Amino acid sequence: MRSFFRAVIALTVVALAVPALAQDRVKSKEIVIGLGAEPRTMLAVTIVDWTTNNMLEHIYDRLLDRDPKTFKPVPMLATGFKIVNDTTWEFTLRKGVKFHNGEPFTAQSVKATLEYALDPASKSHYATASYWGPLKEVQVVDDYTVRFLTKQPWPNLIDHASLTNLLIMPAKALKELGPAKLAEKPIGTGPFKFVEWRRDERLVLERNTDYWGGPADASRVTFRFIPEFSTRMAALLSGEIDIMKDVPPHAVEAVERSGRARVRSTVSSRINYLALVNLKPGPMQDVRVRRAMNHAVDVDELIKAVLKGRATRMCGPLAPANVDYAPVECYRYDSARAQALFKEAGVEPTKLQLTLDTPAGRYPLDKDVSLAIAAQLQRLGIKTNVVVNEWGTHLDKIKNRNTGELFFLGWGPALNGQGTIQPLFLADQTYSSYGNNKVIDEKIARAVTVMDPKGRAAAYAELQKLVHDEAPWVFLWQQHDLYGVANTVEWTPRADEKVWMYDAKIVAR
Amino acid sequence: MKAWLGIGITLAVVAAAVAAPWLAPVDPLASDFAQGLRPPGALGHPLGTDQLGRDLLARVLYGARLALFIGACTVVLTAVVGGLLGLVAGFVERWPATALMRLADVQLSFPFILLAMTINAIVGLGLRNIILSLSAAGWVVYARVVRGEVLSVKERDFVQAAAALGVGRARLLFRHVLPNVAPSIIVVASLQFSQFIVAEAAISFLGFGVQPPTPAWGSMLAEGRDFLYVAWWLAAFPGAALALTALGVNLLGDWLRDTLDPKLRV
Amino acid sequence: MRAYLLSRLAQTALVVFLSLSAVFAMVRLGGDPVLLFMPMDIQAKDVNEIRQRLGFNDPLPVQYARFVGGALRGDFGESLRYRRDALGLVLERLPATLLLAASAVLLTLVVAVPLGVVTAVRRNTLVDHAGTLATVIGQAVPGFWLGLMLIYVFSVQLRWLPTGGMGSLAHLVMPSVVLAAFFSARIARLTRSAMLEALGEDYVLTARAKGLTEPRVVAKHTLRNSAIPIVTLAGLEIGQLLGGAVITETIFAWPGLGRLTVQALLNRDFPVVLAAVFVISATYTVINLLVDVLYGWLDPRVRLR
Repeated sequence: MRSFFRAVIALTVVALAVPALAQDRVKSKEIVIGLGAEPRTMLAVTIVDWTTNNMLEHIYDRLLDRDPKTFKPVPMLATGFKIVNDTTWEFTLRKGVKFHNGEPFTAQSVKATLEYALDPASKSHYATASYWGPLKEVQVVDDYTVRFLTKQPWPNLIDHASLTNLLIMPAKALKELGPAKLAEKPIGTGPFKFVEWRRDERLVLERNTDYWGGPADASRVTFRFIPEFSTRMAALLSGEIDIMKDVPPHAVEAVERSGRARVRSTVSSRINYLALVNLKPGPMQDVRVRRAMNHAVDVDELIKAVLKGRATRMCGPLAPANVDYAPVECYRYDSARAQALFKEAGVEPTKLQLTLDTPAGRYPLDKDVSLAIAAQLQRLGIKTNVVVNEWGTHLDKIKNRNTGELFFLGWGPALNGQGTIQPLFLADQTYSSYGNNKVIDEKIARAVTVMDPKGRAAAYAELQKLVHDEAPWVFLWQQHDLYGVANTVEWTPRADEKVWMYDAKIVAR
Repeated sequence: MKAWLGIGITLAVVAAAVAAPWLAPVDPLASDFAQGLRPPGALGHPLGTDQLGRDLLARVLYGARLALFIGACTVVLTAVVGGLLGLVAGFVERWPATALMRLADVQLSFPFILLAMTINAIVGLGLRNIILSLSAAGWVVYARVVRGEVLSVKERDFVQAAAALGVGRARLLFRHVLPNVAPSIIVVASLQFSQFIVAEAAISFLGFGVQPPTPAWGSMLAEGRDFLYVAWWLAAFPGAALALTALGVNLLGDWLRDTLDPKLRV
Repeated sequence: MRAYLLSRLAQTALVVFLSLSAVFAMVRLGGDPVLLFMPMDIQAKDVNEIRQRLGFNDPLPVQYARFVGGALRGDFGESLRYRRDALGLVLERLPATLLLAASAVLLTLVVAVPLGVVTAVRRNTLVDHAGTLATVIGQAVPGFWLGLMLIYVFSVQLRWLPTGGMGSLAHLVMPSVVLAAFFSARIARLTRSAMLEALGEDYVLTARAKGLTEPRVVAKHTLRNSAIPIVTLAGLEIGQLLGGAVITETIFAWPGLGRLTVQALLNRDFPVVLAAVFVISATYTVINLLVDVLYGWLDPRVRLR
């Protein structure tokens, strides 16, 4: 009986101990990251989802990486590439790389991965037109040379190969074990190996000591899934997690004050905009009204008052973080100019009744920004009814062109011109709000096939100017991504929203 | 004591809701960015302001209107629909009645909040739809209680006598049975009232239900929770108002039950 | 007994089937699920192709027949979002929710029943008033608010307990307390009124007259007789407890069924919603069946038929 009680007491003590305190994690070189959502699968190149891929990229490598500063492609599993002709690309692969199961990485792995993605039986999202749809064939030249043949000239191939759209799986394991087994225990070449995924709770990875780029500093990386912001914040302040994604602007001070963590921020490539819908009848058909709206909304005030300065203003459809960016002139906040433009268009602002659809909690302070825009428009006498939608309803409305004259949306990570301009300014696209402009239609069709870098830059610069003048949106800003980072971790966030732990260092303080 | 406390709190909440336009210093929707996140006691804002500089007192007061409105509409709707169905089911006792009660069982096999939320997620968000969702999920309780009461009242002598005298069924139902069942309906209604407003708040808290900028306590709490570490008052006051209202109505309901129908268990 | 169980099982099956049909009809009336699991740069023709492949373009009766056929074999289809067997996904979360619910029930029994007994026995004393006040407040305070406050005090300020997640016993403390708060208040009040009723019964007076001590009267005669309404209500309230778990799980990042269901609703992941409805209503009916069996044990006069 005594021993039973002793066992119960011992068990209770063990159970009550809060596991892995911040101090212990410094010794064992562990990092815990708090994210709002969990991955949707552990299978590479199947589901298009940035959060999922962010975690998968720790396990799998891509052919190319992006320089976090210049966003230019840099070597990863491929050491270089060249364009053989308009529809043929050749990649030279890195030698001596091994998968976590010991299988060597060769051109066969690249071929097998893409063939898996394009096989209808895999039901991969990546087989669609916006992803690897334009790819015709992958040819193995030799073990370390591989060619991509495309259906038409496709300059964006390089962006897909260097984003998250090509995570290389082991050819032999894929064939022998099958995708289902790889979904349970992924095998990549990446800097971390899979340990366990407890659904809705955590994903645990451990360091790959044989990584071709040298081992990471962190020996163990745990992603914890904490949906509520306030709970995530509590976890950071109590030392349970070391990195917290998405600190709201107003909470920055509270994190800094805590003495345990600081806020690290970066200008994101994700953009926010207010669509002025011309795909349905109404005042937004008139370009003068759309321009007037751009003069009527005081973007700088929104950034300062609502977002506490945590956003960078944009003047055209692309942000400087985009490889195809070209500068355009900003619409200034000028209510007199707005009044004049309204008058020219024969619109009496005080009689204007608009509806603004917005999501809540999808983008930083989205709903509050929308309400603030309505308040600014009120200064001109424009009545704006703000409708807050649940996310699914918001998407439905935009797709079915059922929104009000205005809607708020974010887009990104927007790293190349095609990915923003093609889906958002053509009438037949799923989430566009503007279209049926013949000139723009033609220019887009041409721009997406220009292979020569100079020609491509010129084509996108021209498009940006045209779009700016057409004022299909009130151009708002690039988000700032704010992370709470514990004092024991040294890590710099990236513009592409990747929480990349290979770069993180753990330091004793 | 309890009764007076219940009546007092309930009356105070009702008064605050009715007099909101006079008690509130400003429009609950009017934002003033320069005055954002002022703590309670700030000039002109006794309960402080939110992130857009909207006056919290005004929002809490108008929130009372909304909460009582939602509670009242839902209670009336469920009482009428559920009560009538229960009345008929108890009186008729044929297969449609049995089927109806089976349906009630089906519904009871699902958690109330989850059911209301599921319905709400599908029919769409907003004030009207949350009332409909709560009602669709809540009518069962009345149907059950009323049916049970009717079954026992029906056997009582005066009803039997009336039936023997040839009183019509409808007349029998509404003149003789209903008055005897009414106290139960009132008691159930008073006990359900607070459940509805708390459920509405919980559903809005999870991202369904009444959406901002409408000043409903539930959505205010959901907004305020994100500001918990910088502006405690944003979640504190709507939360307190909700708890206080629920407390008052519960006490009132208890008192009503003790006086009208001490045997009833809900 | 066997006949009773069989008929109850048949009824249960019917109830579950009707719930599923109702939810099936409702989700099909809702919005398009395809948009929510596909990337935003998806093109219209791809959206349609996926709808076609998943059978969303078929007539409703065909979809329903397919669903019923699958459900009968225990196949609710693949989660649209996670590309995994929907029922498996749901069943994986069930133990976490049951653990949470069980510990809340345990906490309730330890706290609420004694509280109810004491307030009934010491009727109209200070203890009674304080206890009653506590239960009335417990019923009125919203769980989500209580949860946030507890995290703030015990995790952030005092650092005694983890903020959320599942792992050690410490992780279980705050979620159980929050979930038990409302439940306890209801049970304590019910215990009190059931006890009061029982204390007035003839056999209690007889027992007292026989010279039995008051604690014996309470323990032996009244409590056992009050147990029936308490167990009934507790059984009925299990459903509400599962509902409360939705909120508790979200706040404390508890990897349970409730949180999964809310997410599935928001994501329009219909196979998961249907599988969750199935598991929740089945769990609830099984618990109620157990409650009925418990009756027979508590009160030999009740014969199950």
